[in-house]
Amino acid sequence: MEEMISKMKKIAYEDLSTKKVDRVIGFGKGDFIYEANPIFISNLEEVDLLVWDLFCVNNLSKYLINELKNYQKIGIFLKGCDSLGFNQLVKDNKVDPDNVIVYGVPCEGMIDPNKLSKKNLLKDLRYLRRVDEKLIIVTKQGEKELIAKDYEYDKCLKCKHPNPVVYSELLESNTLRNSILTDDFEEVDRIEDMNSEERYEYWSEQFSKCIRCYACRNICPVCSCDKCIFDNLDIGVSGKAKVDSEDQFFHIVRAYHVAGRCVDCGECSRVCPESIAIDKLNRKIIKDITEIYGEYDAGLNPSKSSVLVNYKLEDFDPFETSKGGK
Amino acid sequence: MLLESKENLTIDKEEFKPLIVAFCCNWCSYAGADLAGTSRLNYPANIRIIKVPCSCRVNPNFVLRAFQNGADGVVIAGCHPGDCHYSTGNYFARRRLTLFTSLLNYIGIESERLKVDWISAAEANKFATVMNDVLEKVHKLGPNRKLRDVRWKR
Ligand code: SF4
Ligand code: SF4
Ligand code: FES
Repeated sequence: MEEMISKMKKIAYEDLSTKKVDRVIGFGKGDFIYEANPIFISNLEEVDLLVWDLFCVNNLSKYLINELKNYQKIGIFLKGCDSLGFNQLVKDNKVDPDNVIVYGVPCEGMIDPNKLSKKNLLKDLRYLRRVDEKLIIVTKQGEKELIAKDYEYDKCLKCKHPNPVVYSELLESNTLRNSILTDDFEEVDRIEDMNSEERYEYWSEQFSKCIRCYACRNICPVCSCDKCIFDNLDIGVSGKAKVDSEDQFFHIVRAYHVAGRCVDCGECSRVCPESIAIDKLNRKIIKDITEIYGEYDAGLNPSKSSVLVNYKLEDFDPFETSKGGK
Repeated sequence: MLLESKENLTIDKEEFKPLIVAFCCNWCSYAGADLAGTSRLNYPANIRIIKVPCSCRVNPNFVLRAFQNGADGVVIAGCHPGDCHYSTGNYFARRRLTLFTSLLNYIGIESERLKVDWISAAEANKFATVMNDVLEKVHKLGPNRKLRDVRWKR
């Protein structure tokens, strides 16, 4: 970890001082030890604020949209999942890759403070380090050795791309990391197996928890429209009223809007303060696309267009009934 | 007072009449509906047709709003694949609606309530059959309550 931080600082310092970039986006320490926040650096003095630890979970790629309005060339640290988002931003013409230098950071998996807190490990946390599959944690009570997987974010447990899929420079050789939850359509299957009444109850209950904070939309590298219908009440498409139908409307439209483009980074479910199973909507669409249109590769190949902006004459047609009437 | 109670009575007695919203593309399905009308084919009167330029114009928001504001069933009809007036519109629509109908189904809307079909300008018969079919199925399912906006009044 320390090694990585010095590499990060070195490369940021070099590129800023040689004017290769005029802005660097990376992680800095938050108020608590279990917090890492995005930081934006233009001054060489601030380079020292860069950190890399087990809480650098934020997907930084989306900040490029705004930052590129004010800066010519940006250096950014991206993990595997972030790099998928970056590719999709490029594909959606939101970011010009020529203006970005991606420092690829292989990721071993991030630690979920909520999971630590459930085991009462968060309060007196002093220090935390990962050694392969082990988590060394120092609290007031002393040092403890834990199994890292027990405390990783759910999205990290399912991660398929711990290594950046696109980068200008790779800061470390790739990590070898297997996702342990391999069959992750299992959760979707479980919902599909219910009958329609049960499904409706399930989702209504989920959606009605929503406080419409739009955190899920704001973090998403794919939800990148400049003007969102959910911010633009005057056009009369969306309402802010706290009724079930508006929550349902928001969630269905959000999920459908990212259909075929969602890179399955899991950020939306992670940030939701109400723990709504947003990923199970996204994954349903991903499952359908995989089954009907072949392998799902959003975020992997920026030059190949998304499923919904494409078609084939011989596409599967679930609607065709007989030609002509009785 | 008297008037009110009378009204309530009639509503109670009234049999369930499903409300179906049909989005028909201007160039085929709407013309098909026209032909069905001029050929005096029977199709139910509780179908409200909304003319759209092309099946790909149907934004999923329209479907959701229809369900929220009173529809018991929604039909989207367009030209047969290959016949779209804008050449490719319904190919895109086909992919979108494949995913969208599946998503709605996943959320718990009965698949009978959302019907997509291709109806050409010459297929007046098919138009009538499809509409009758949807009506029958929706009638069997009963009034839709899912997705309904609580503020909506009939
Ligand atoms: S919808 Fe969620 S999982 Fe998909 S790209 Fe956006 S934040 Fe990531
Ligand atoms: S983050 Fe959660 S609560 Fe906030 S808008 Fe999204 S789903 Fe709703
Ligand atoms: S014009 Fe009929 S589907 Fe496009």
